[in-house]
Amino acid sequence: MRISTRAVQLSPAAAYYIALFLIPLLLLAAYSFYSVESFEPVAKLTFHNYVEAATSDIYRGFYLRTLRVALVVAVLVTAISFPFAFVLNYLLPGRKHLLYFLVLVSLFGGYIVRVYAWRNIMGREGVINQTLIGTGVIDSPMTLFLNSEWAVVVALVNYLIPFGVLPIYAAMQNVPPTQIEAAQDLGGSRWRAATKVVLPLTSKGCVAAFAVSFIATSAEWVTPQLLGGTGDQLIGNQIQHQFGGGLNWPLGAALALTMVVLVVLLLSAAYLVIRRWLR
Amino acid sequence: MSTPSMPRSTKVMARLYVVAVLAFLFAPLVVVVLFSFHSAPRMSFPFEGFSLRWYDQVLHDQLVIDAMRRSAIAAVLTGLMTAVLGLTASLALVGARTRVRATTMVAAMVPLTFPTLLYAIGLAITYHFFGIGYSLRATIAGHVIVALPFVFLIIGASLDRFRFSLLEAAFDLGASPWLAFRKVTLPLILPAVLGATVLAMALSADEFVVAFFTAGQEKTLPLLLYARINQGLDPSLNAIGTILLVATTSLAWVSAARTSKENQ
Repeated sequence: MRISTRAVQLSPAAAYYIALFLIPLLLLAAYSFYSVESFEPVAKLTFHNYVEAATSDIYRGFYLRTLRVALVVAVLVTAISFPFAFVLNYLLPGRKHLLYFLVLVSLFGGYIVRVYAWRNIMGREGVINQTLIGTGVIDSPMTLFLNSEWAVVVALVNYLIPFGVLPIYAAMQNVPPTQIEAAQDLGGSRWRAATKVVLPLTSKGCVAAFAVSFIATSAEWVTPQLLGGTGDQLIGNQIQHQFGGGLNWPLGAALALTMVVLVVLLLSAAYLVIRRWLR
Repeated sequence: MSTPSMPRSTKVMARLYVVAVLAFLFAPLVVVVLFSFHSAPRMSFPFEGFSLRWYDQVLHDQLVIDAMRRSAIAAVLTGLMTAVLGLTASLALVGARTRVRATTMVAAMVPLTFPTLLYAIGLAITYHFFGIGYSLRATIAGHVIVALPFVFLIIGASLDRFRFSLLEAAFDLGASPWLAFRKVTLPLILPAVLGATVLAMALSADEFVVAFFTAGQEKTLPLLLYARINQGLDPSLNAIGTILLVATTSLAWVSAARTSKENQ
C-alpha cells in the first residue's frame, strides 16, 4: 500500500524524464545510424556516419583540438578553483558565506551575455582596443585578442569557474578542521597542509570540477563561434553545422555521440591515473 | 588553522587572490552593465556620461518586447512545472529508505552528465520525429529537463535534514496522512521547493542551447541577443544584456538566499 502510493507520487517526474529525456537520447542514438536521402534522414541503418566521424582527417582535427582546449580549460578551472575554495573556507572564514553566495549567483547569470561581453572587450572595436587608442597608447587596433584560441579559453574559464568552485567547496565542508590543525601541529606548513591533507580529502570535488569543465567544453559551440577564429572552431561547431546549414542530422548525431564516448573514455582513464597518484 | 597564527602576508595574499578571481568573474558583466548606461555609442574608456538612451531604444523595439515576454512565460512555466514534479516526487522520498532515495537522486542527476548540446539536438530530433513543430512550448518542455536535476538537488538536500520524528509524532497524535502532510511535511520542505522553483526560472531565462534548437521563430531573449550579436556590435545590445542579466541574477539571488537561509 505504502509502496504503491510512493510509486504514484514518483510517476509524474519519472514519466517526464522518460518522455523528454530518455526518448530524445534514444532517438539521437537511433538517428546516428540513419542515412540521408535528398537532405532528409531516412531509416536505412548504416555505420557510415561513425566511419566518417572516425576516419575523416577533418573531424580528427576537430576532435583533437576540442580535447586539447577542453584539457587546458579543465586544468585552469580546477587550478584556479581549488585555491579559491581553500582560501574562502580556511583563511577567510568570517566572509565565506557572502563570497560563496557571490560565486553561486554568478553561476546562474548570463551565459550568452558573457560571450557577448568578451567579444565586446576583446574585439577590434572593443573596450581594450578603443581605450588604448583613445589614450594614445596604440595607433591602430590590435587583433591578437579576438578570433584566437586564447579568447575562447579565457571566456570558457571565466564561465566555468563557479562550476569548479562549487564541488570543491562542498567537499571541503566535509573535511574536519582538526585534521588540518593536526597536520600543522606536527610541523607541516600551510602549503603542506593544503596539498597533503586537504587535496586528497577533497579529491572527489576536484575530479567533479575537472570533469564538469571538460564535458562542458567538449560540446561548446557558441564561444568558439563568436570568439574564435576560423581555425579555432571545435567539434561542437561541426555538430551544430550538421543540424543547421549542413542538413545532415545523422552525421551530426554520430559526431556528437563519438565525442561523448571519447570524453567518457578519457575522463575514466584520467580518473584511474589520478586515484593511483593520490594514494 | 587559527587566525592569529597566520602571518599577515599570507592573509593579504589570500585576500588579493579572492579579489582577483572575483574581479575576473564579474568583469564581463560589469562591462556590459556599465556601457549600457553610456551616453556615447563608443564602448571604451574614458566614460563620457550616463544616459538611458539605449534602454529607451530597446524598450521601443517590438522584437525585444516580444522576446522578453516569451522569456518571462518560459521562466514562469518552467518554474511551475518543475515545482509540481519536484514536489510530488519529494513526497515519495520523504520517509523512503536511504537506498531508495539515493538511487532516485542519482537517476534524477543523469541529465547533468550530458552536455546540453547533445540533449538539445536529441530533443530537436524527437520533435521532428513525432511531427511536433518547434515553438516556445517545445523549448519550455526542454527547460524543465535542464532545471529538474537542480530542483532535485535542492529538495534532496532539504530532505536530508528532514526531522522524521516530527512526522512520527504527528501520526502518534492521531493525525491523518493529509493533515500530517499539510501541517508537518509541507511547511518543512516548502522553502526548498520555492527556492528550487525560482532557480528553475533563472535557468530557463538564461538557457540558450535548447532554445536555439527547439524555439523555431519564437525567439527568447538570449536567442535575440545572439542573433543581434551576429548582425554586428551595437551599444543597445548592452541594454538587452543588462535586462537579461538583472532578471537571471536577481532570480538566482532570491533562490540562493532562500536555500542558504534554510541551511543555517
